[in-house]
Amino acid sequence: MEPKTPLGHMVREVWPLIILSVGLLLVVAIIQSLDDRIISQSLTEGLIRLVVVIGLYIFIGNSGLISFGHIGFMMIGAYATAWQTMDPMTKDIFVPGLPGYLLANSHHWLVATIIGGLVAAIAAFISGLAMMRLSGIAASIGTFALFMSFYSLYLQWSTWTAGQSSLVGIPVTTTPWVAFWFCIVAMIGAFVYSRSKFGLALRASREDEVAAKAAGVDVTGERVISFTISAFFVGMAGGLYGHFLGLLTVDTFYLPMTFITLSMLVVGGMQSLSGAVVGTIILSLVIELLRKAEKGVDMGGTNISLPASSAEVGLGVILLLILIFRPTGFTRNAEIYWPFKPKVAVTEVTHRQS
Amino acid sequence: MAFALQVLMNALSLGSLYALAALGIGLLFGVLKLINFAHGDFITVGAYALIVPSAATQATLMIGDFHPLILIPCIVAVVVILALIAEFLVFRPLRSASPATLMIGSFALGFVIQNILIMIYGGRPKAVGIWSDLSLGVELMEGVEVPKLQLIIIGVTLVLMVVLVLFLTKTKYGVHMRAAAEDFRMARMLGIEANRVIMLAVAISGMLAAAVSMLFVVQTGILEFRMGVSLMLFAFIATVIGGMGSLVGAVVGGFAVGAVSILLQTFLPSEMRVFRDVFVFAIVIFILLVRPQGLVMSRASRERV
Amino acid sequence: MLEVKDLEVRYGRLTALRGINLSIKEGEIACIVGPNGAGKSTTLLSISSVLNPTAGTITFDGQQINGTRPEDVARMGVSQVPEGRHIFTSLTVEENLQVGTATRRDKPEMKRDYERVIETFPILGERRRQSAGKLSGGEQQMLAIGRALMTSPRFMTIDEPSLGLAPKIVDRVYEVLIDLRKSRGLTLLIVEQSSERALKAADTLYVLRNGAIQLAGKASELQDGKAVHKAYFGFSDDHEGEVMI
Ligand SMILES: Nc1ncnc2c1ncn2[C@@H]1O[C@H](COP(=O)(O)OP(=O)(O)OP(=O)(O)O)[C@@H](O)[C@H]1O
Ligand SMILES: [Mg+2]
Repeated sequence: MEPKTPLGHMVREVWPLIILSVGLLLVVAIIQSLDDRIISQSLTEGLIRLVVVIGLYIFIGNSGLISFGHIGFMMIGAYATAWQTMDPMTKDIFVPGLPGYLLANSHHWLVATIIGGLVAAIAAFISGLAMMRLSGIAASIGTFALFMSFYSLYLQWSTWTAGQSSLVGIPVTTTPWVAFWFCIVAMIGAFVYSRSKFGLALRASREDEVAAKAAGVDVTGERVISFTISAFFVGMAGGLYGHFLGLLTVDTFYLPMTFITLSMLVVGGMQSLSGAVVGTIILSLVIELLRKAEKGVDMGGTNISLPASSAEVGLGVILLLILIFRPTGFTRNAEIYWPFKPKVAVTEVTHRQS
Repeated sequence: MAFALQVLMNALSLGSLYALAALGIGLLFGVLKLINFAHGDFITVGAYALIVPSAATQATLMIGDFHPLILIPCIVAVVVILALIAEFLVFRPLRSASPATLMIGSFALGFVIQNILIMIYGGRPKAVGIWSDLSLGVELMEGVEVPKLQLIIIGVTLVLMVVLVLFLTKTKYGVHMRAAAEDFRMARMLGIEANRVIMLAVAISGMLAAAVSMLFVVQTGILEFRMGVSLMLFAFIATVIGGMGSLVGAVVGGFAVGAVSILLQTFLPSEMRVFRDVFVFAIVIFILLVRPQGLVMSRASRERV
Repeated sequence: MLEVKDLEVRYGRLTALRGINLSIKEGEIACIVGPNGAGKSTTLLSISSVLNPTAGTITFDGQQINGTRPEDVARMGVSQVPEGRHIFTSLTVEENLQVGTATRRDKPEMKRDYERVIETFPILGERRRQSAGKLSGGEQQMLAIGRALMTSPRFMTIDEPSLGLAPKIVDRVYEVLIDLRKSRGLTLLIVEQSSERALKAADTLYVLRNGAIQLAGKASELQDGKAVHKAYFGFSDDHEGEVMI
C-alpha cells in the first residue's frame, strides 16, 4: 500500500525513526513496569550507551572511518558537565583548580549537560581539523592517539579531574526516562544529519573518496562536521553517565568502554541508525545475562557461576563471530523498511531476516 | 657529555622496544593489510607465560625459572603459537574483509585475550623478578654508567633487525614475503602460496613480540594485563609516522618515538613531566599532519605508473 | 588446451562477461581485441582464477580452473602478464625474476631459464641488481614477461603488451612473443585494444565487446578489416572501411 496523502509521505520518510522510537518506548515502558531498581539501573546505563552508540554512528556510519577516540569525548563531556553541577563546597575539595566562576556557581543539570556536549564538540572540532585530514587506517590510529592523549591528560590533571581517584558528589539526576529522551533527541539528530546534504556528501566520500573529491565534496570539511556533531551527542552521554553514577573516574572512559560501544555499533550494522539501536539492545541484553551468570545461579543448592570477565570475553567472541559471518551486522546496514510497500520491500525484509 | 650519552642510551633502548614492536606490526600490515590491535596482547601473553597460571597476588615463576636457553625458546613458542591460533581463528576467516573490519577484528581479539588473562591470572599487577642482575650498571666510560639491560636491549634489537633483513633479502621465502607485501595478488598469480606466506609473517611477528615481552618484563619487573597495550600504541604511532607498509619506516618511527619520549622526560620541567605522553601524542599528531604519508615514504607509494 | 565455456563474471551488480566461449589449441597464438571496458582483462583474470565466475567453466588440459586458487593455476603452468604489469617495484630485477620460480624445484633448469630471459632481454641482465621500480615502462614490460617466463609456463596470457610503449619497443615485444612460440612451443593468449598488430601475430582472433564475443575466427580469414570493424564498434563504417583499428 503506497501512502497517498502528504502526511502519509512524511510518515514514510521518517518511518525508521518512528518505529525505532516506538520500539524503544515499549522497551523502556515494559522494563520500568517491572519496578525493579537494579534492572531499572541497567536500563539507564543501556540507554546512555545507546546515546554514545548513536553518536558513534553519526561519524562512523556516515564517514566509513573507524574512530577509537569518541570515548575521549564522552569523558570530556562527563567532566565538563560535572564541573557545572557539583556542589561548590565539594568542588573546593576535589577540583580546586577549576576557574573561579565554576567554583562559585552551579548550573541546572540539563543546561550543564548541553554545555558539556558543546565542550566535547569544540574539542572534536579543533582536533578534527587536524585529524580528519588523515584517511582510512591512519585516521583510525590518529583517533586512537587522540583518545590516549585525552585519557592521559585527564588522568594527570588532578586539580581539575581528581586524577587517579574519583570525583564524587555529582548529583544523580539521570533517570531511565531522562536517558530515554536523550536517546530520542540523538536519534532525531542522527536521522536528520544523515539525510541532510552534509550527511549525503559524507556518505558519497565513504563509498569513493576520490570520486567525491572530484565531484567537489570537501571531504575533510564534511568529516569535521560529522566528527563535531557526533562528539556533541557522545559528550552529552558522558554528562548523563556522570549524573547516573554520581561519581566519575577517568578509568571509566578507557578501552572497555570503547570496545563495548564500538561492538554495539558493529554488531547492529555500522552504516544504519537502526543498526546502532538494534546492536545496543542486543548486546546490552547479552551483557546483562553474562553478568548475571558471573554472579552465579543457584542450582539445587550449589552456586554455579562463570568466572569473572566472562561477559567481556563473551562480548569479544560475539563481535568476532558477527564480523566473520555477518560483517554488515544484524541489520545488514539497512534501515528498518516501510512495511507497506509492495513486493520489493517485502522481499528485502524477508531477506534481512533470513 | 656524560649526561648526553646517558640520555642517548635511554632513547636508544626505549626506541629499540618500540622499533621491535613496530616491526611486528609493520610486517603483518605489509602482508595482510592488518593493523593488529592484538599485537600488544601477544606481548603481554609472552610476559605472563613466565609465571604459574594462578590468580594469586604473588607470582610464582614457572618458565621464568628455566635456564635462558630453554626459557627463550619456550616464550617464543608460546607467543608464536598464540599468533598462529589467531591467524587460523580470526585473521583467516576475515581474509576477504575490508581493512577496517580486520582492524576491529583484531581489536576484539585483543580484548578477548586481555580478559582471558584476567580470568586466569586476576586483574592486579604482579611483581616478577627475572634476570634482575641485568639492571646493574656497567661503566661505559668515565662517569657514564648505564644498566646492562639497556645494552642488551639495544644489542638484541640490532641482531634481530640484521637477521630480519638477511631473511628478507637473502632467502627465497623472504623475497616471496616482500613480493607478497607489495602486491599480494600478483604474487599469488606467480604461484606463491598465500597462506604459507601469511603464516610465516604471523610467526615472525610473534617472535618479535616474544622478544619484546622478555626485554620489557625484565626492564619493568611488573606483569599487568594491559602492559602490552601502551607499548603497542606507541608502536602503532611509530608505524604510522614512519610510513605504513615500510619496515624501515617502522624502525625509524620506533626510534623517533623513543627519542621524543626520552627527550621530553628529560627536559620537561618536573611538574609537566606527568604530561609527557600528552606531549608525545601531540607531536605525533603534528607529524601526521605535516607528513601524512609518513617519514619514510614506502616504495609502494612511490611506484611509477 | 584452454576451454572457456559460457563464462559469466560479475562485479557486484555489473555483469562484465555475459557467457563467452574461447577454445585455444596447443601451440597457437590467440588474440582478444576489444574496446575499453569490453571485459578483456576480466577474461584473463578469470583464467588465472583471480576472479570467480558466476557461471560457466574454464578448463586447462581437462583440469578445471574455476574454483581453484590463483597459485594452483600458476602451478598448472598458466602464467599471466597482467594489465599494468604489476612489477614488484621494491624488489630488484633479479628478485622479481626469482619470484617467478616460486613453484619450481628444478634448480638447473631454473638457472637455464634465467639465462634465456637475460639473453632475450639483455637490459634486464644489466639492471640485475637495480630496484625494479627504477626501470622504464618498456623495461618493466620486459621484466613482467621475463618473470612470467620464469614460471616455465605452458600457457601464457598477456594483457595489452603494447600499452604505453613506443612502436619500436612494441615490435620488439611481439618479436619475442612470436619467437617464444617457436622456441618453446608456448601457447599464447594476447589481449590488445587495437587489432592491427594482433592480427599479424595471431592465429585466432576474438573480438570482445560489451562482455560478449562478437566475432571469432582464423586471423588469416579476417584480414579484411570490415567485419572486424563492425564487430569491434557495433556498426559498420563504409566510408572508412579501409581504416584499421
Ligand atoms: N574491480 C572492478 N570492480 C568493478 N567493476 C569492474 C572492475 N574491473 C572491471 N570492472 C568493469 O568490468 C567491465 C570490464 O572491465 P575490463 O577491465 O575487463 O575491461 P577491459 O576490456 O580490460 O578494458 P580496458 O581495455 O580498458 O583495459 C568494465 O565495465 C569495468 O568497468
Ligand atoms: Mg583491460
